[in-house]
Amino acid sequence: MTTSAFEAFLAKIYVDPNARARFKVDPFGEASHAGLSPDECVAVMKIDWVGLDLAARSFAKKRHTKTLSNRRSLRTRAQGFLSSLLGFFR
Amino acid sequence: MNIRRDRVGLGWRPDLAASIFDHLECIDLLEVIADDFFDGSRHERRALRALSSQVTVVLHGIGLGLASCESVQTTRLDKMARLFDEVRPEFWSEHLAFVRAGGVEIGHLAAPPRTLQNVEGAAENLCRAISRVGSKPLMENIATLVDPPGSTLAEPAWVSAILEASDCDSLLDLHNVHANALNHGYDATKYLKQIPSSRVRAIHIAGGKLITAADGTTRLLDDHLHDVPDPVFELLEEIAASSPQPLTVILERDGAYPPMPQLLAQIQRARLSLERGRARHTAPEKCIA
Repeated sequence: MTTSAFEAFLAKIYVDPNARARFKVDPFGEASHAGLSPDECVAVMKIDWVGLDLAARSFAKKRHTKTLSNRRSLRTRAQGFLSSLLGFFR
Repeated sequence: MNIRRDRVGLGWRPDLAASIFDHLECIDLLEVIADDFFDGSRHERRALRALSSQVTVVLHGIGLGLASCESVQTTRLDKMARLFDEVRPEFWSEHLAFVRAGGVEIGHLAAPPRTLQNVEGAAENLCRAISRVGSKPLMENIATLVDPPGSTLAEPAWVSAILEASDCDSLLDLHNVHANALNHGYDATKYLKQIPSSRVRAIHIAGGKLITAADGTTRLLDDHLHDVPDPVFELLEEIAASSPQPLTVILERDGAYPPMPQLLAQIQRARLSLERGRARHTAPEKCIA
């Protein structure tokens, strides 16, 4: 058990709040709709629901931080790095 | 990699650059996040090469997603291979995690279902990674807030199986062991006894914070924004006592940076934990009358 489809389903409910909400309402139906085998559907229904919410929250925060970080000027970071390096080799 | 002594280093972060250069005599090596430089400018990469020519540097990947039934992306492997060639680090490492599946980017390290199929997928991905990069990565255990459903193997057995199947060594993250033990109800010291300690080459230490779930329960989040807690230093002593090979310890800190002396104090404490563990390892067994 556990296939690419299983991992894809987990990725979806970790990232997509709507998919997660649908999964909470109808776990077996949502998992089955995603192409999981009956055994996989039963397995994913046993998910640690509290952990799922916390993990989803944590992943969302990471994605948000990454987006902000990408927006930061890379030039500023590079300049800081280079000036530190120059200071070190002087 | 022919290391003859225990070493303690620090994760390279641009915000810490000046302080790191001021205290290099206290830092044995630097761990650089490889993904930060995959699309770096020529100047940035040149600066990294200059850094690695002066200080021992190791590369740490965070985005390959090797522990997956899905194949690792060739473009990402090529970026790692190119950076490895340019920097010539002492070693490189990645995580026992999946970070994308079915076209969905999770944005961080996620624990896959721990199954034999996943072990096979991870071994295939690692085989490709080793072939492309030309060097075996150290593989790191991750922290997870959710116990992955569909698992048929306990975490230590799953980690051990991937290391065995890929013939890779371990980057053992002790805060991740501590966090998972707290969050999922097992004994961290027993975990250490269930993994092949002879494969542990490097160690991460870090800190985290307790977060509260909707039902009022708390879990430990591995956020790298806090000081290393006492239990992690105790685990470090344990692994030093049980592993004869030299260990490379890296302190990870990703933000909320304290003054440099506070980070150096944690590096020093890691050295003391290693020494205490080594003393236990070499000390003759006491006879009990």
